[in-house]
Amino acid sequence: MASCAVLHLLVLVLPSIMLALTDANLEGDALYSLRRAVKDPGHVLQSWDPNLVDPCTWFHVTCDGDNRVTRLDLGNANLSGSLVPELGKLIRLQYLELYMNELVGPIPKELGNLKSLVSLDLYDNNLTGTIPASLSKLSNLKFLRLNGNRLTGRIPRELTKLESLKIIDVSNNDLCGTIPTSGSFSKFTEESFVNNSRLEGPELMGFVRYDAAGSCK
Amino acid sequence: MSVYFRSSGVFELGLAGILLVTILLICTTEGLNSDGQHLLELKNGLHDEFNHLQNWKSTDQTPCSWTGVSCTSDYEPVVWSLDLSSKNLSGTLSPSIGGLVNLRYFDLSYNEIKGDIPKEIGNCSLLQYFCLNDNQLSGEIPAELGKLSFLERLNICNNQISGSLPEELGRLSSLVEFVAYTNRLTGPLPRSIKNLKNLKTIRAGQNQISGSIPAEISGCRSLKLLGLAQNKIGGELPKELGMLGNLTELILWENQISGFIPKELGNCTNLETLALYANALAGPIPIEIVNLKFLKKLYLYRNGLNGTIPREIGNLSMATEIDFSENFLTGEIPTEFSKIKGLRLLYIFQNQLTGVIPNELSILRNMIKLDLSINYLTGPIPFGFQYLTEMVQLQLFGNSLSGGIPQGLGLYSKLWVVDFSDNNLTGRIPPHLCRHSNLILLNLDSNRLYGNIPTGVLNCQTLVQLRLVGNKFTGGFPSELCKLVNLSAIELNQNRFTGPVPPEIGNCRRLQRLHIANNYFTSELPKELGNLSQLVTFNASSNLLTGKIPPEVVNCKMLQRLDLSHNSFSDALPDELGTLLQLELLRLSENNLSGNIPLALGNLSHLTELQMGGNSFSGRIPPTLGLLSSLQIAMNLSYNNLTGSIPPELGNLNLLEFLLLNNNHLTGDIPKTFENLSSLLGCNFSYNDLTGSLPSVSLFQNMAISSFLGNKGLCGGPLGDCSGDPSSDPQKNTDAPRGRIITIVASVVGGVSLILIIVILYLMRRPTETASAIHEKENPYSESDIYFPLKDGFTFQDLSKSMSAVAGSYGYIAPEYAYTMKVTEKCDIYSYGVVLLELLTGKTPVQPLDQGGDLVTWARHYVRDHSLTIGILDDRLDLEDQSTIAHMISVLKIALLCTSMSPLDRPSMREVVLMLIESNEREGNLTLSSTYDFPLKDDISRK
Repeated sequence: MASCAVLHLLVLVLPSIMLALTDANLEGDALYSLRRAVKDPGHVLQSWDPNLVDPCTWFHVTCDGDNRVTRLDLGNANLSGSLVPELGKLIRLQYLELYMNELVGPIPKELGNLKSLVSLDLYDNNLTGTIPASLSKLSNLKFLRLNGNRLTGRIPRELTKLESLKIIDVSNNDLCGTIPTSGSFSKFTEESFVNNSRLEGPELMGFVRYDAAGSCK
Repeated sequence: MSVYFRSSGVFELGLAGILLVTILLICTTEGLNSDGQHLLELKNGLHDEFNHLQNWKSTDQTPCSWTGVSCTSDYEPVVWSLDLSSKNLSGTLSPSIGGLVNLRYFDLSYNEIKGDIPKEIGNCSLLQYFCLNDNQLSGEIPAELGKLSFLERLNICNNQISGSLPEELGRLSSLVEFVAYTNRLTGPLPRSIKNLKNLKTIRAGQNQISGSIPAEISGCRSLKLLGLAQNKIGGELPKELGMLGNLTELILWENQISGFIPKELGNCTNLETLALYANALAGPIPIEIVNLKFLKKLYLYRNGLNGTIPREIGNLSMATEIDFSENFLTGEIPTEFSKIKGLRLLYIFQNQLTGVIPNELSILRNMIKLDLSINYLTGPIPFGFQYLTEMVQLQLFGNSLSGGIPQGLGLYSKLWVVDFSDNNLTGRIPPHLCRHSNLILLNLDSNRLYGNIPTGVLNCQTLVQLRLVGNKFTGGFPSELCKLVNLSAIELNQNRFTGPVPPEIGNCRRLQRLHIANNYFTSELPKELGNLSQLVTFNASSNLLTGKIPPEVVNCKMLQRLDLSHNSFSDALPDELGTLLQLELLRLSENNLSGNIPLALGNLSHLTELQMGGNSFSGRIPPTLGLLSSLQIAMNLSYNNLTGSIPPELGNLNLLEFLLLNNNHLTGDIPKTFENLSSLLGCNFSYNDLTGSLPSVSLFQNMAISSFLGNKGLCGGPLGDCSGDPSSDPQKNTDAPRGRIITIVASVVGGVSLILIIVILYLMRRPTETASAIHEKENPYSESDIYFPLKDGFTFQDLSKSMSAVAGSYGYIAPEYAYTMKVTEKCDIYSYGVVLLELLTGKTPVQPLDQGGDLVTWARHYVRDHSLTIGILDDRLDLEDQSTIAHMISVLKIALLCTSMSPLDRPSMREVVLMLIESNEREGNLTLSSTYDFPLKDDISRK
């Protein structure tokens, strides 16, 4: 099954760069799109062979008994490039560890589909754009560490719905607006939000409208 | 008139001597005809690195002799053809191209031209052939292109052209071929396309074309090839496609096309290739598709197709490749496939097919690749498959196939990939699988195969992956494997292999994965393991390996995962283990390793899991372990002989989720820095000699009391106030378990059935799931809520055996039930008493007849003969503490009361609860919950 697409593509005219797209399962394809979107000078993704049936023998990938991806351990791996929306297809993923790399671009909103996710560690990269409100769908999320990036915009108030959330760290970014205080956010200290020069203090319930332009002009 | 000459003229102005020359030069330039001048202007816009255009000189009268230029042979020749393909030209395409009004043929392909396509191209009204492919052109397709009414071939593929296809394309009434793949085109296909009656080829794949395929496409009645793969085309396929009677290739894969496959496609009777894979098509495969009598390649995989495969599929007599994989097809595989004599590829994997693999497929002599994996297929692998001489790739994994593997498989065919994993196959591996030395992958994981690995496989020089996990294979480690130079993976986990791992393993220089866990491998690991410089994962856990971990293993510098747990490795760890800088998992638990934990382990900056529990490591915990900044899954150092204080540096492990240091001899306090362990989900410090107060953060204050039991003088949080003697304040000691007990009491008082109580009791004794996942079988009760101080060597499993009986069975039933057959509260009290007796004595409710037949009688006899003495209590419990014993004895009395022969003598449940509480208070330093958690106090001060 693995190499059938190679044959297809030989048959089907379109150029050879697409040889990479094969019939490995969807999770393998999703991870392979990440491989294609990043530069990997340390060759840590060398074993990511899209011709395999599943990505479970790829290094830095951990699967469960059903050969579904549960962990991606690529912290401090010298990767540059961007995240890909396809990562949102890894619906059994519990740990997405991509901290301390040189990743740029936005956090794909599709990460909100990772319904099993326990830990989202993207800290210390160069990510830009806003924190997707879709992350509020991650009902199992315990650890959300996005610190040390260049994220802008507000902290989505929807994140207060994350009941399991134990840690949020969005410090050292360029966020603006007020800090939500309701729901799971009631237990977080200021430390989670420091070094965002445009971030105003905790929202004063009933006094300041959350979406008032404020520092986000 | 070139810029160069004009400017030089200005420059030379005033220099009389040279003026004449200049004038002459200008005159010469003016001698070049206008086509030539346009071409020179074109040349000016280009960068001609290799001087291919050096003979383009202004001194010529006409450009007709210039490289790439062809003229008409008229009296006044005009340029009709310009072929500049593959000339390494860069720069831009000058608008002067529009001056070449007689141009019919223009080819600029395979250069590095940037910028826009000039709209002036619209002036070349005679243009028939226009090729700009394989450049770096950007911008949009100029609408002026629509003026080229003679244009027959337009090729702009492999550029970066954006924008949508202009409606004006519909005016190119002579167009035969339109090739625009691999650009950045957006927007829908223009409806004006219907006017292109001569168009035979549309190739516009790998763009971002959106919208649906317009029904107007039916106007392109000459169309033979429609290629729009890898776009963003949505909507449904128009039934008008069926009007394209000349169509031979319909290539629409990787789009977002939904809806059904229109049955009208069956009218495209000249179709040879139908590639609709990777879309969102639903519904059945239309039976009309079998009318496509010239169809060679049918690719419908990766859609949402359902229904059965039509039996008439056999009518596709010209087909060579059929792929229906990754759909939701049901039913059986039609035997009619066997009528398609030329079939070389048949993929139907990942559907919901049932039934057996038809034997008839064995007559498909030309079959090269067959993949029926991930279905619900049953029955045997057809015997005839072994005679398919062309077969290269045979994959049947993830079904429920049974029976043996045809033993002749590989004798007649040059097999390349064989994957039968995850089935119920039995018997042996066919001996000739690699007869023709082509086999690369052999995967037979998760079957019921047995016997040795045949020599033919062990000598298979081409083999890259050998995966035999989860079978019943026997024999020693096949040292012949080590001669296979291409081998990158040996996976033999969960079999019955025996004997030592031979030194020859060191010859497998390409080996990346070596998995031999859960076998019966014995003796020492050979030092030659150190030669495996490519090894990335090595799992030898759960074997019978002994001796030192060979220090040479530290030469395997690529190692990311090393699991040697559950063996009998002894002696100290090699210090250099800390040089395996790629290590992500290090599992050494449940061995007899001793000595210090190497300081250098702190260098493992990628380590996510460190399992060292259940060994005899001694000395201090190296503070360097606090440098393991990636450590996340767990640090488990439990059940060792570690001494000294806990290094405060461990507080830096801010990703760490589980920290297990229990059952050592650690002293001092839990460092204040542990307040920074913000990710901690669980910890265990129990059974050490720790003192002082718990870190004041809620994390520790809310942790289960069992995490801290059995220490000298820990206090704070669940252990009670630090101000006084922590051991003298039972009420505050037990906040955490009290809640649980109150729940039980409430249940009881509420009249909930006894079964519930038993279930709760049982649950109390079960380790939490998280904890058991982390510990595996290393220290099953350390994280649990069992508060019995067990002697070493007893496990949770031992304990739970006595709890396995069900209330209502013999031994639990009150005697009067035999006469009345009525269940009363008093019956429940009796049963409850039996449960208490079980807990206290560790004996099952049913006893040998000579012991009285049941536990109640046995206990009565014991008390009669020995009075209420310590000997009646479970000898697996730690009975050193007098207060524990006193309390257990008092509970035993309650139990005996509950099991009185006469229901009238038995107390009510409310009374039982009161007695239990009283018993606590009477014992003074015991806890409310101690009925179930007897020696809680004892635990705190045990050591």
